[in-house]
Amino acid sequence: MSEQREKIREIIKETKSLPTIPGIVGKLNALSNDQKTSIKEMANIVSADQVLSAKMLRLANSPSYGFARISTVSNAMILLGIDVVKSLVLSSSIFEIMENNVMGLWEHSLGAGVAANIIVRRLNLKECEEISTAALLHDIGKVILKLKFEDEYAALGKLVTARQMWFRDAEMELLGTDHAEVGGWLATSWFLPDKLVEPIACHHDVSKSGTHQIRTAVVHVADIMIKAAAFGFSGDPFVPRLQPAAVRVLGLNETILSDIAEELGDRLIDIKNFSLEMQETDG
Amino acid sequence: MQLIPIALAQPEMVLAREVVRPDNPSGPPICGRGMALSAPLIARLRQMGIKSLIVDGHPVMVEGEESLEIMLDALEHRFSKVTGDPLMDFLKGTFRSILCRSMGEEAP
Ligand SMILES: [Fe+2]
Ligand SMILES: [Fe+2]
Repeated sequence: MSEQREKIREIIKETKSLPTIPGIVGKLNALSNDQKTSIKEMANIVSADQVLSAKMLRLANSPSYGFARISTVSNAMILLGIDVVKSLVLSSSIFEIMENNVMGLWEHSLGAGVAANIIVRRLNLKECEEISTAALLHDIGKVILKLKFEDEYAALGKLVTARQMWFRDAEMELLGTDHAEVGGWLATSWFLPDKLVEPIACHHDVSKSGTHQIRTAVVHVADIMIKAAAFGFSGDPFVPRLQPAAVRVLGLNETILSDIAEELGDRLIDIKNFSLEMQETDG
Repeated sequence: MQLIPIALAQPEMVLAREVVRPDNPSGPPICGRGMALSAPLIARLRQMGIKSLIVDGHPVMVEGEESLEIMLDALEHRFSKVTGDPLMDFLKGTFRSILCRSMGEEAP
């Protein structure tokens, strides 16, 4: 089995780009290291790709981010900062792949983004934007498995149905690795910051995370909440157990959990509405 | 709470979300949440090009839609791997009452 794991790891390492992941992320990276580049120049680069900037703005205004109405790319740059815009560009590109290939996972991720925001607000945690991105991308390993290992991915689905098991257990059994580890490899090979890599790589094993345990715990809980609410489809219907590490790190208790669940329940209809709107505009 | 096409809107249904102009979604809302619909109001909203509304309770039964009973069974199934864990049992109870309320019923 670990042979299979090594094979997957090699292939992921070579996956420097995906069809719709634009060179723009790389360009922005290079430019933001250059002191002389102005925000306006960077905004111009993103605006030049009209399809991309439209998608990015739509996502910025989605319930998953919950920013106040942002109408232009330079607006976004000034109000949200380069880092947030970069992560928006990346998420909107990955979202496009999900939308076309794994619709249920797309809704699951969108919902996890909303849930993560609710958790962060309820617990008064800082750096909300990064949390949205981490939650939106947490199952990115599934996307890459689906794209690069089509047959294996189909076999996983069959195994889940036949044995009524967790998707992740099926992954371990068939592949010797899981989408969290795979997503972590991918995020690392794309030079994403640790604060995104860790929540992606450890969202099913919070105790494995290091410096970003709080973020990882938030994403872990967001995943559980959105599965409990049965919004979207992430590969299996089964709600994972809240890990003691997450409960401890975030100081969760019944009151907090029910507050989060109630607010999420209240927002589901807005997420559904947004998801329908997006499908309408695309179709 | 239910999202319904405006064609199914009826007087006395209560808005669960404010309604905004489709051509100016960030402008002031046309009517606020909590407002009860009336026939003239529905006609006016239609004229403005509004296609759907979010209303309180679950007033419209759509064909193919799951009943509360089926939804509660699915909830049990979703939590079936974590029964006996106190926090997870609590969470299941919370989502059960949310589901019941969303269908306009009291939790059993
Ligand atoms: Fe996951
Ligand atoms: Fe997930």
